[in-house]
Amino acid sequence: MVDVAMVGAGQTKFGNHPLGLKGMWSEAIEKAFSSVDNDCLPSMVDEAFIGSIAFGGSQLGNTAALLTEHSGMDGVSVRRVENACASSGFALRDAWMTIKSGQADIVVAGGIEKMNDLSAERKRYWLGVSGDTEWERLAGLTFPGTYALTARRYFHEFESTHDDLVHVSVKNHMHGFDNEMAHLRKDVSFEKASSGAMVADPLTLYDCCPTSDGASAVILVADHLAHQFTDTPIWVKGSGAGSDKLALHDRPSLTQLRATQLASQKAYSIANVQPNQIDLAEVHDCFTIAEVLATEDLGFAGRGQGGLYARNGEGRRNEGDVTINASGGLKSKGHPLGATGTGQAVEVFKQLRHQVEAPRQVRDAELGLTHNVGGSGATCAVHIFGRER
Amino acid sequence: MMTISKTSLDNTTFATSAYGEEWAGPDGDRLTIALQLLKSEPASTVQIDSFIESLEYTPSTPVSSIIESTTDWKVDSNGQYHLVASPSSFIVALGKDDTISQWPTLPLRKAIEEGKKVAIEEAWRNEISGVSQGAYVSQSQHVLAMPSRLGLHAQEDDSGIVWPPRQLNAEGERIPPVSNKLDNSASILTWTRLSAAGAPSEFSLRAPLLGGVSTVLVEFISGPKGVFMLTDDEDGQPSIGQEVSFEVRRLYGQDEFIHYGLKALLI
Repeated sequence: MVDVAMVGAGQTKFGNHPLGLKGMWSEAIEKAFSSVDNDCLPSMVDEAFIGSIAFGGSQLGNTAALLTEHSGMDGVSVRRVENACASSGFALRDAWMTIKSGQADIVVAGGIEKMNDLSAERKRYWLGVSGDTEWERLAGLTFPGTYALTARRYFHEFESTHDDLVHVSVKNHMHGFDNEMAHLRKDVSFEKASSGAMVADPLTLYDCCPTSDGASAVILVADHLAHQFTDTPIWVKGSGAGSDKLALHDRPSLTQLRATQLASQKAYSIANVQPNQIDLAEVHDCFTIAEVLATEDLGFAGRGQGGLYARNGEGRRNEGDVTINASGGLKSKGHPLGATGTGQAVEVFKQLRHQVEAPRQVRDAELGLTHNVGGSGATCAVHIFGRER
Repeated sequence: MMTISKTSLDNTTFATSAYGEEWAGPDGDRLTIALQLLKSEPASTVQIDSFIESLEYTPSTPVSSIIESTTDWKVDSNGQYHLVASPSSFIVALGKDDTISQWPTLPLRKAIEEGKKVAIEEAWRNEISGVSQGAYVSQSQHVLAMPSRLGLHAQEDDSGIVWPPRQLNAEGERIPPVSNKLDNSASILTWTRLSAAGAPSEFSLRAPLLGGVSTVLVEFISGPKGVFMLTDDEDGQPSIGQEVSFEVRRLYGQDEFIHYGLKALLI
């Protein structure tokens, strides 16, 4: 079967972006194609998959066609991929499968979201559209509320406290401080992160990622073309995806994400890689408790040990076995919903090519992982990348 | 656990909310009082024509369906009892006559500052006139799930009790229709209190007045779990393992309708 290589990747800065959808997407595409070592043009693309929930209702229909029209891919076969916050993780998976199946040779996967030019009321409405509307949203839950329920249960079941979540927040802010693409470039002390305003008890402002504008895109090619474009392709060694019940109350466990477990098991198996071989992981820390669960569900920490893992500083850059969220993660780099998944891939692409500016570079990075979750865990896509095929 | 106050006069039973005859509470109205009153009396048949006219807002589903989903009473135009509401206060009567010659005075157990009460009522007025931005539950789904949402009616499958309702089980097989009813109490597995800014947009007008909204995820003794908003929790904080009971209250207003659902009360 065809192997898949990533030969280019680019993104806008995440945050309050002055441009709209067309402008941000054009910038991400320009950066992605200019990152390819040898000539590669948008007009060469066979297929495109663009993740977005079309936040705010902005160009809700045919979003993807509008974006390719404005980025030199006019006429390409394109579609919007929507799986809440995991939209572009799944766009990446769709692109990977398309090349794997032999149906296309050059495919763009990307994502985009414009979140910060809406009224507070409209923004709040859209932030809740991906949860269970009938039985949870209308019982007062938003995603901060859903993850707060998870956090409180986690503290009850395991020897963990809110301090463990503070460690996650401090680490990710420390990583993101040096990332020029990050939304919140703040070095946050433990004391400050401990005393944030309460959003959804026990989660405070410092447990929650920001709402960001942004776009990101990666260029995938079939193995026979990889070295035409670069001497250092990054191979997509494995892709896995899974789903779970939409409503938290329907899940057997409140403190595990089955979708992550299913997705990572498949990705590890296809890549023939073990968790302890991963050098850096970009995990979906929309809330700090989500990173604690991810370290367990991805196999970096044992069941119930995610809090201790964070407390011990295991995920810090170049300190433990694996660097977790070298980019700053969603917490610091930002979370433009549809752009987050391929944004994670952009970071891994640069890290594995050892092109990240000091001091952000993860030493001797050979294998990377991205973990992109939709909503409170209804969907998840995991990808494993390597310098070696 | 009953949150209404009751008294009987001349074979008629009268009820108000804990806030007395002047107000039905932050998420109450004459219908929520009536439902508690009916649940507290032996079930029979009831006429509701004049009662419906006393409601301030239109419910999203017929009042008769709400009553029959929530209680064991049957609504019948020739029913043995009459449900009647005072036009000038929040007292509801259940008796054999459709006219009430004298409305009693019922005790007020909870007081609220007048300004806050006015603000909450104003918030409801504004909320109900708002138009759904899209995250609505389709009317057909709303109606189909009403017995489960208001009366905790459940299905039974090889895997156990199923609630909320589903069409197909995990194996893709059709689950038989409702055949069971969950207990009216459950145990808290976890809870949160959302700040006003963290609450869903449906609650954005009332949440600041209430200081946020509390939500509990509970487990029923028969197995199913569910998420409910807490109500009447001004004086208490939930804890894991604590028991709750349920009562029908207003959930939210949208598109000129009031939507009702169960809320949890700390025991």
